[in-house]
Amino acid sequence: MKKLSILLLALIAAAVTIYYVPLQAAVRPPKLEYQRLVLPNGMVVILHQDKSTPIVHVELWYHVGSKNEKPGRTGFAHFFEHLMFKGSRNVEPEQHTSIIASVGGQANAYTNEDTTVFWQTIPAQYLPLVLWMEADRMASLRIDQNTFVTEREVVKEERRMRIENPPFGLLNELITFNAFDVHPYKHPVIGSMTDLNAATIDDVRDFYKTYYVPENATLMIVGDFDTDTVTNLVNQYFARVPKAAKPVPRDIPVEPQHTKEKRVTLEQPWPLPAIVVTYHVPYNGHPDSYPMFVMSKTLSDGQTSRIYRKLVYDTGLALTAFGSSSFLEQPGIFSAVALVNPGKSPDDVEKALIAEFDKLKTAGITERELQRAKNQFARDYVVSRLSIKEKASQLGHAEVIQKDMASADGEFDTFLKVSLDDVKRVAQKYFVPEGRMVMRIMPRGGVVEKVEK
Amino acid sequence: MTTKTVLALVLFGGLSGLVAATPTLTEKIRGEKPARTRSEVQQRVDWPRENPPRPLPARPVTFPPYELRKLANGMQVVLVSQNEQPVVSVRMIIRAGAAHDPKGKHGLAMLTATLLDQGAGTKTAEQIAETIDFIGGALGTGAGTDLSYVNAVVMKDSYDIALDLLADVVQRPTFAPEEIERQRQQALSALKVAAEDPESVADRVIDRLIYGFHPYGMPGAGTTESLTGLTRADFVDFHKKYFVPNNALIAVVGDIGAAEAMAGLEKHFGAWKPGEVPALAVTEPPDATRRVIVIDKKDAVQTEIRVGHIAIPRKHNDYEAIDQAVKILGGEGANRLQQVLRSQKQLTYGASADLDTFKWAGAVIAETDTQTSNTAEALRVVVDEFTRLQRERVSDGELEGAQDYMVGHFPLTIEVPDAIATQVLNQLFYELPVDELPKYRERVLRVTPDEIQRVARWFIRPSQLSIVLVGDADKFVNDLKGVGFGTFERIPIDRVDLLSVDLMKRQGATRP
Repeated sequence: MKKLSILLLALIAAAVTIYYVPLQAAVRPPKLEYQRLVLPNGMVVILHQDKSTPIVHVELWYHVGSKNEKPGRTGFAHFFEHLMFKGSRNVEPEQHTSIIASVGGQANAYTNEDTTVFWQTIPAQYLPLVLWMEADRMASLRIDQNTFVTEREVVKEERRMRIENPPFGLLNELITFNAFDVHPYKHPVIGSMTDLNAATIDDVRDFYKTYYVPENATLMIVGDFDTDTVTNLVNQYFARVPKAAKPVPRDIPVEPQHTKEKRVTLEQPWPLPAIVVTYHVPYNGHPDSYPMFVMSKTLSDGQTSRIYRKLVYDTGLALTAFGSSSFLEQPGIFSAVALVNPGKSPDDVEKALIAEFDKLKTAGITERELQRAKNQFARDYVVSRLSIKEKASQLGHAEVIQKDMASADGEFDTFLKVSLDDVKRVAQKYFVPEGRMVMRIMPRGGVVEKVEK
Repeated sequence: MTTKTVLALVLFGGLSGLVAATPTLTEKIRGEKPARTRSEVQQRVDWPRENPPRPLPARPVTFPPYELRKLANGMQVVLVSQNEQPVVSVRMIIRAGAAHDPKGKHGLAMLTATLLDQGAGTKTAEQIAETIDFIGGALGTGAGTDLSYVNAVVMKDSYDIALDLLADVVQRPTFAPEEIERQRQQALSALKVAAEDPESVADRVIDRLIYGFHPYGMPGAGTTESLTGLTRADFVDFHKKYFVPNNALIAVVGDIGAAEAMAGLEKHFGAWKPGEVPALAVTEPPDATRRVIVIDKKDAVQTEIRVGHIAIPRKHNDYEAIDQAVKILGGEGANRLQQVLRSQKQLTYGASADLDTFKWAGAVIAETDTQTSNTAEALRVVVDEFTRLQRERVSDGELEGAQDYMVGHFPLTIEVPDAIATQVLNQLFYELPVDELPKYRERVLRVTPDEIQRVARWFIRPSQLSIVLVGDADKFVNDLKGVGFGTFERIPIDRVDLLSVDLMKRQGATRP
């Protein structure tokens, strides 16, 4: 009897371990608190106080990215980001970064498909200086033909450095170009050399007036500050920036439903062949995006993930293989990429990648994989909220991309509710052959070296 | 067990140059001439001409608390407790890296580190991966120049699981033959990709030029021959020699108290037996000698440029002054190279100079990239800046600017607990006094323009520079003579051999 009950207990324990490992309450990260203000000119301000270190992070998001570019002007949003460092009424050209540096701070900016973000981290006492400088360039940018022409050369070097010179540097560009038909996510954020050359100073003026306006801006202030002081400062420097003359345009071409698998074969001067498989996926924040995120974890997070295990570890088909989902403001793509190991067959790699997506449709994922994905999500959630810069980025994403501030914290719980059925349903809905693009990029010259043992 | 608690010291708030810096700041903002001519200011409103606002009162900056301890077997322990997020990271350092690769066994430290978590204790590679992934943790291993590392990040309730894994991985790796083969193939493929990456080739060749056949000049990622030749006995031997507690440092960082952290370490690492670590016989690196290597890559659209020479090891009396001199040349907060190459001449997206300082030696290396046709011009500018730094005294204002950045930046370097631990680990690793940490401000401000001039005179050697250019050689080599570099060695990228004296693979012959 006794023996049996111990056995029974062990079974129950095992069952609990396998099926019910809940995320313990202790592991629920602290709520990401915030205050949200809207100025009369439409600018949104998000505050989050963190007094652990006497520093503050200021991040200004303009809701404009490469998807807002006009045809023939790819790369313009990013190019414009560079021009924001070329001086304004009270700040000399090239001085923005060095002024921040002279007080020990760091400043930079980045542009992606949906947004252009200017950030600075500084010792807390210099908060007035940073707000004043950001307002200055929002209201009174200097636009100068000479600067415009010379800075374009820097952007072209950036394109050469990031995209054109390194092996596989063009990979992303080739993927999006072929996966989308009309949506501007088709084009690389950095743009093409031809389009960069075609840009004119009138484009600069027009872009500034259209998109660099308070109602298109969200200001994040995270760190060590006093709420009354910061509210006064924001009012003092930003409330005087007038509203734009016209509403911010939001007419982005819509990608039509794809009805047939697309196959592409290309050559590039790369050391190994690359195989890419993509599918169209929903926008970030769409209810289906959470199960999709679970699948991206199951497919590609860690050495246990299915793509790594199958293509890299078990078969050695690929040097590296990974899947990732774009999770953008508008519907994007899920792409899986594998670099074919010397001596292995690109056909086998393609089959193996597609098989992983098909398996999700027929068999879904296991309870354990679901729990693992949730645990990994919890870790990501925590480690992406350690620094004030990371917190600002989360807040900006919730406000600008998700358009739902509550998601900055609530997403944690939304995610934990994803079920096995959700995963299978979403796999069946999106991982369909009609929505698939398969691309092979072979080394130039054709002959693949063999290392046979 | 020895216990030593280091108290946090207050670093006085405010900035040295604050009084002096305010007019400088205004100057930078207003510019010298009040009126602009050519450029148009896109005003949305009658935007006022005004001075920048004054700073708010500063709060004092303190180096956060941490504790130093030691296990009886000699393992050094750093504890940093901070409970903002429910996460714990454990970081372990072993004092042996690529520099400890025996002759002809290049890549041994790197592959040993890679294999640590591919089977250990009673667990297979798959079981280790499954354990860490399931709890939503992350485990990473690797080797650097002087050290190997194993890091784990877990939610705080998984601390014991993390230590259990780390203990196996560090103390009892399996080195299973099939895992060795798998990782060897991966390393060989990675080598193939790196051999065609201009950036990676430039970095490897400049190290080899500067350090010669000193361990720091050798390829830590191995060569095809060396990786192919490594046997299981090599991994077992390397591990046995260096992976002992008296050769290890560990930091436990995050949402965990000292008592719990130590109890876990005692449980999982207390029984680890110390061993005698063989001293590494290291020769001096060669003297700086002028040498120019052009690596030809036909399809390149840019040239990767590296310029440098030998400098100092991390533990050196002139470290602070030399570090600041190099920051003025190409570091954060100053950076003459970026100013001239990007801001003035638009020749590049980025230019910088680094002072790499390791245990036994170090180097100053400037790097940039530029489109092929501008290669010679960019090279000339870089070399001119070395010369200028050596010949001309740095102005008070320029040094003040560099120091303002360093001092002002300090609170940004102690924000997250891992960054605090890194600073403490660095001091311990290089055998520098930890009580220097809270005195950062004083250390920085002690350096004067005279000091910079004194060190620049002996350590910057513009006529003995090693230079590497990786790009489409036919399109720029004819310009090199015009900038004073008419003598160079040219090597096709597929014939680079880091182990031969002339860096060139013999055609038709294999090296022994």
